[in-house]
Amino acid sequence: MILNPSQKRGLVGAAILAAVLITIGLVVTYFGSRYQLRLVYSAYVNLLVVLAMQVFMGNARLTNLSHSAFMGIGAYVAAICVTPVTVKSISLPDAPWGLNAFSLDPVSSALLAIAITAVLALIVGLFVVRLTGSGVTIFSLAVLVIVHSVFLYRTDIFKGNQAFFGIPQVFSLTSIVILSVFVVFIVRLFRESRWGIQLRACADDEVGAAAMGVNIRRLRLIAWVLSAILLAVAGIAYAYFLGTISARPFYFNHVFLTLAMLILGGMRTVTGAVLGTLLISFGLECVRWLETGPVLLGIDLPEVLGLSGIALGTVIVLTMALRPGGIMGDQEIEDLVLKKQE
Amino acid sequence: MLNVENLIVSHGPIEAVHGISFAVDKGRCVSLLGPNGAGKTSTISALMGVVKSSGRITFDGADVSSLPVEARVQAGMSVAPEGRRIFSNLSVEENLVLGGATRSDRTAKDADIAHWLETFPILGERRDQPAGTLSGGEQQMLAISRALMTRPKILLLDEPSLGLAPKIVSQIFQMIERLKAQGITILLVEQNATQALRLSDYAYLLNNGRIVAEGTKETLGQSSALMAELTGIA
Repeated sequence: MILNPSQKRGLVGAAILAAVLITIGLVVTYFGSRYQLRLVYSAYVNLLVVLAMQVFMGNARLTNLSHSAFMGIGAYVAAICVTPVTVKSISLPDAPWGLNAFSLDPVSSALLAIAITAVLALIVGLFVVRLTGSGVTIFSLAVLVIVHSVFLYRTDIFKGNQAFFGIPQVFSLTSIVILSVFVVFIVRLFRESRWGIQLRACADDEVGAAAMGVNIRRLRLIAWVLSAILLAVAGIAYAYFLGTISARPFYFNHVFLTLAMLILGGMRTVTGAVLGTLLISFGLECVRWLETGPVLLGIDLPEVLGLSGIALGTVIVLTMALRPGGIMGDQEIEDLVLKKQE
Repeated sequence: MLNVENLIVSHGPIEAVHGISFAVDKGRCVSLLGPNGAGKTSTISALMGVVKSSGRITFDGADVSSLPVEARVQAGMSVAPEGRRIFSNLSVEENLVLGGATRSDRTAKDADIAHWLETFPILGERRDQPAGTLSGGEQQMLAISRALMTRPKILLLDEPSLGLAPKIVSQIFQMIERLKAQGITILLVEQNATQALRLSDYAYLLNNGRIVAEGTKETLGQSSALMAELTGIA
């Protein structure tokens, strides 16, 4: 494969981001406490989600609110497949279609989960690509609610708000760092690919792009399905580390959290997605600590419940008002680094 | 090469083009002249398949009337649309990549991009800049280069002089003349009749969605009051 100059720059940018992610991973692996390791792991899961969102939202510039649902589908399908029969016979005694009578190895389970998520995303996507602007937002919100309701009320399969337990914990921090590096490269190369350029052109001027012979619907469908596949990967990584999942983490709070990450960093760039995730993950921990009413500089601060929600909302409001393109705008990391060298 | 018979274009309930017929022969430059609202852009959009139309459009011997845009581009039709419509958030180079959206021969495409960046050094200098930062004339050069990225058999130019300073307009027309000399068939849509007629082999005068006159620059020159108005002689 021959790469054009902007794709070569994309590789440089992705490599810089990968170096940052690997460094954080190493530092936490060697110096972090167990608690910090879990926090960083969940930040990396969210990073996978935000990168997946960037594929569709950043390139097509359409708002998708159903991403957490697709993450959930990936997580649940993998969980149902991989959990040993002995556990499932206790946790899912009434499961239909013999779901509690088989189990697969983690790799096959993951591949099956990705395939099923991709097929569902393709079906939903066929409707999504017929819509524009706010239509996509509302439609995807409805998808989120439908999927969540199924998770919540088909307790015989998904256990609803109760914990779905017994998933083999085959992932470590190292696994997700490697995974996130891969995904950073995939997402960045997609952005610089022919498809990525055409998608961004459609976002700029739909009629103009159509006149160039760009098939907008096909491209949006490709981005939608790729995004869903990466979301499934994020869901699987989540389930394979924690060993336990429930319906709640794949609903509105998570949609809002990841949306804030993408908006703060800037959805148009991969660098923005990474930066937003890191900033909010770290910032939110500080806010959670403040929430408990700590003693700071000799002042005993009061307990403020709900501070993290306020903080996230404020981040979105301020970013949208002051810098709608997010911190990065249209700049990728190598734009900043290479410019300094000149 | 391009034959249009009884083309009707409607935007919702309003019929903008009421059944026009015209032809563009291979290697020629034909212009479609007319004032605002004459139906020029509607005609171009219908030719490319961007808007629905009825009537018969044959190109290179094949009926393309019912083909989607991509297929028409692949058949060899390409447009530099009205108002340039460059993608302002994409870089100059990415705009050119996009022009070749329907092509799959990568190496040749990259060579074409390099060719246009060399032909227009100003575009070469700004290859990584967002195209929105270019001046109007530069954007028009980019729009035309982008249209040529498909290596079209016919190039449709929709008001290339729109909103440009007179000096820049002359430059753009010089560029079109060079393209014509290279043997590219051109359908030029213009309000600027004087400049357009100078390099056209044949011209049609369009008003209120109908062709009201046609001929070579000599015969059409000052044939009607409308023509006089368009050329600014009246």
